[in-house]
Amino acid sequence: MLDGHEIPLVAALTAAIAAPLAAAFHVGRGGSQAGPRTPAIVSLLVSLVASLTITRAWMSGSEVTLELGQRLGGGYLVHVDGLTAVLLPFVALVELAIVMMAPKRFLDGPATARILLGAATTLALFSTAHPLVLIVAWVVTALPTWWSTRATPGGQIAARVYAIIMTMAVASMTVGTLMMIADPPWEAGGGAVGACGGWLVALAVLVRKGIVPFHSWYPALFRGAPMSTALAATVPQIASYTAVRLFFGHADHGDGVGEELILLSQLALLTATYGAALALVQRDLRGLIGTLAMSQSALVLAGLAGKLPMELNGAFCTWISSGLALTGLGLVGWALESRAGPLSLETPQGRFADAPLLAAFFLLFGLATIGLPGTLSFVADDLLVSGSLDEQLHAGLLVIAATVLSAIAVMRAWLMVFGGPSSVDGPRHHVLPRERITLTALFATIVLLGLWPAPLVRELERAGSELLGVPFEAPAPVGHGVDHGRGAAGPPGDPSAAAP
Amino acid sequence: MTIPGAIVPACPLLGFFGATSASAHAIVATLVVLQLAAPALTLVLVGLPALLDRPLSERATTRLVGSAFTVAFLAGLTTLMVLSTRGFAPEQVHLGTWFSVGHHDATIDLVADGLSVPYVCFSTGLCALVNAFAGKYLHREPGFTRFFVLLALFGTGMNLMVLAGSIDVLFAGWEFLGISSTMLIGFFHERTNALKAALRAFTTYRICDVGLLAAGVMIHRAVGSGDFERLFGGVWPNANSLVSPGSATLVSLLLVFAAMGKSAQVPFSNWLPRAMEGPTPSSAIFYGALSIHAGAYVLLRCEALLDAAPLARFVLVVIGVSTAVHAALVGRVQTDLKSMLAYASMTQSGIIFAEVGLGFRVVALVHIVSHAILRSLQILRSPSALHDRHELEAALGGHPGAASWSIVRLLPESAQAWLYRVALDRGFEEMVLSRFVVGPVWRFLEWLGAAELRWIDWLGTRPEDRARDLVERRMHGRSR
Repeated sequence: MLDGHEIPLVAALTAAIAAPLAAAFHVGRGGSQAGPRTPAIVSLLVSLVASLTITRAWMSGSEVTLELGQRLGGGYLVHVDGLTAVLLPFVALVELAIVMMAPKRFLDGPATARILLGAATTLALFSTAHPLVLIVAWVVTALPTWWSTRATPGGQIAARVYAIIMTMAVASMTVGTLMMIADPPWEAGGGAVGACGGWLVALAVLVRKGIVPFHSWYPALFRGAPMSTALAATVPQIASYTAVRLFFGHADHGDGVGEELILLSQLALLTATYGAALALVQRDLRGLIGTLAMSQSALVLAGLAGKLPMELNGAFCTWISSGLALTGLGLVGWALESRAGPLSLETPQGRFADAPLLAAFFLLFGLATIGLPGTLSFVADDLLVSGSLDEQLHAGLLVIAATVLSAIAVMRAWLMVFGGPSSVDGPRHHVLPRERITLTALFATIVLLGLWPAPLVRELERAGSELLGVPFEAPAPVGHGVDHGRGAAGPPGDPSAAAP
Repeated sequence: MTIPGAIVPACPLLGFFGATSASAHAIVATLVVLQLAAPALTLVLVGLPALLDRPLSERATTRLVGSAFTVAFLAGLTTLMVLSTRGFAPEQVHLGTWFSVGHHDATIDLVADGLSVPYVCFSTGLCALVNAFAGKYLHREPGFTRFFVLLALFGTGMNLMVLAGSIDVLFAGWEFLGISSTMLIGFFHERTNALKAALRAFTTYRICDVGLLAAGVMIHRAVGSGDFERLFGGVWPNANSLVSPGSATLVSLLLVFAAMGKSAQVPFSNWLPRAMEGPTPSSAIFYGALSIHAGAYVLLRCEALLDAAPLARFVLVVIGVSTAVHAALVGRVQTDLKSMLAYASMTQSGIIFAEVGLGFRVVALVHIVSHAILRSLQILRSPSALHDRHELEAALGGHPGAASWSIVRLLPESAQAWLYRVALDRGFEEMVLSRFVVGPVWRFLEWLGAAELRWIDWLGTRPEDRARDLVERRMHGRSR
């Protein structure tokens, strides 16, 4: 039976998942007279509001993890904790932005249905910790991506690469999970079968996250698939979520993190730097966004193995910040492509005069990806770099190298796409109202979370502490008022003086 | 420095401010926030309408930005007066904790002292003057609003960096400086050279920013927070380090590395002459006055650490002197006025670095201010230099006189020729960097990128299609 405070949570969760699912069936059967965009937007708005209700309820309520259903393999069928409460509105917002920005010719009934189905499955995946449900969700989220890529002209190579990689990932995930369920490594006396299963799941995460040497599908997908498909497949980072649910809380590991995750994080550090270095020499915009997404996604995994709450928090913040910023960057690039065709980075394209507003948004989202002060990525970078350097010097240096290379790659892309002589009689591309609203809202979210990160950081810290199994120390209340009580008289070096 | 007591009663304002410590602190805190908020608010007021495709008129834009800098300048002057009555004792302004994880606190701390407040007055005053100049100079320029948005961003970043009371706040301001500088170098985006120059400057900044980022982390590790008041105590310029000599040396070396990029020190100097691709007002304020001295400012702010780190001071002097000699030599053979001025700025910046390394902090501060004012005037006048010259010649009735004598003429002719060659090749700095560092790395990365594409093609093509392609390629090869 559900408690009093659980009923609204479950109702909101149902609404968040059911709304896009219902809309997917509706538009898939061609049931909308006004075109597929309107029902898709409405359903994702419902999903966003419901997700925010969960976040609010979780933050203002008892803040006790909601666990319902059968417990199997260490996880419940319905599992809502601090991480879920943050990730649900994030996914809903990203999917809503994609639907709002998608050019009309890419948003026919079947394409919209695939986006909505993917959204509903991702939301469902982020609210479960049940290993078998995770496997099913992996398959269901991969299928629309493959289908959509294959249906795109010129997307056959990307579809085949994606199919090969995902088959490997799903097979590894299924076998590994079943082995872990049969011989649970998180229980005392767990045997070799469970341990092997753990490593197979680690391999699955490695493949699905695009970690070196299984990274090639990331840029391939961005080049071959519609931008909506590529973003929806990569931005939510379901493999990171799976790693969190399956590798945290192992009884055989003192600090609460599975040793598989520690190995993954080392490879992820290399991938983050390698991806950023590859981004530098990309010859087209889609390649750049793909390699950048690969680098940022690897940074999240690199931070997840952190033994310090700071590093784990940095990983969670990077998850959100890079997801929102890359979505903005990809959508601006898509809007530009739909007006001007494919964009090369080999010579200056001179698009500034045609689309100054898109140039401004591209720059803002690009800078928000690489740690612009005042955006959430600045906070994320600060936590990730500090945490990594505190823990391992080489990890910190690789994170710094990745951020530096990504920044140069983004600036090069901006200069190459928008700089250069423009054709004198070229048309000026006006930004549509829905595009302007979407981009402004997305950027405002990044800035708002960057200027006032304390509530988000606090919730993520609480979620991280719970995952690591360490007690959560609530920080002192955060204030922004001018402190008139301290002056020259305040003793230097007195830590208590720094408290607000 | 204190104002004699006899003067204070004569000035009601100072008398009022000097009344109580608490009220003086409250006033300073409000004024410091005002210095920061004025340009930041302008950034929003000018930038947001532009982002919504409803830019303000030229007049409204210049007035708004000019007013903000004037307000910040007046607030700075008032703060200076209040501080002078209190012997320039530092006033810490704690605006709150931005976020906090575990024992990692990111605090928003500002400091008003004998270094930051004069520097804010000087920088906001200069920005206000350049704003007035640019309003006329860029009249009807397509990027008019963009320039002023970037100027406001620069002003916000500059004030944030100068007033920073913690390394986190300083880093945020430092980043704004780098971004606004890059965007202004690439202001005339239709010119390929401007794009290349912007990317070169940004790359240099980001590489050297590693130093500041790592220094920030080291400071957090050393004192558990980024607050400067836990890092050094006392009154500038006689503050003393509160960390161990080892930590002081490491942090100082990282700060020197960070400063080298922004202040165009050898071997990171070649972006500066190319940065003159930007509009003249931005060249004046960035590369003649403020941005070029940002590195020196950070070193002056952390002078207590340098005191405890003789190795870092030695490195600083060597870098400063090398840059000064290099820039003085190369600057002599430049054939355009803006490049010549860029190298002149670099020379002075090198000397300032050496002064900081030698411990002449007040001299360095005075040198920064005087050099910045002179150089920005020269750069602002540079577009009309030819006109000035003609006027001079018309007034004198002929050529003003022979070229000035140079000490280089004392050298043998073969040495002069060699030096000329070295100067023409900009000290081989670029050649060495491009041939031995950037070139090989770039070629390797391109090779990796191409290999990735080949791998994706191979993996994504069916085996039968691959075989058919191979046969077709061979047949075409034979027919050729």
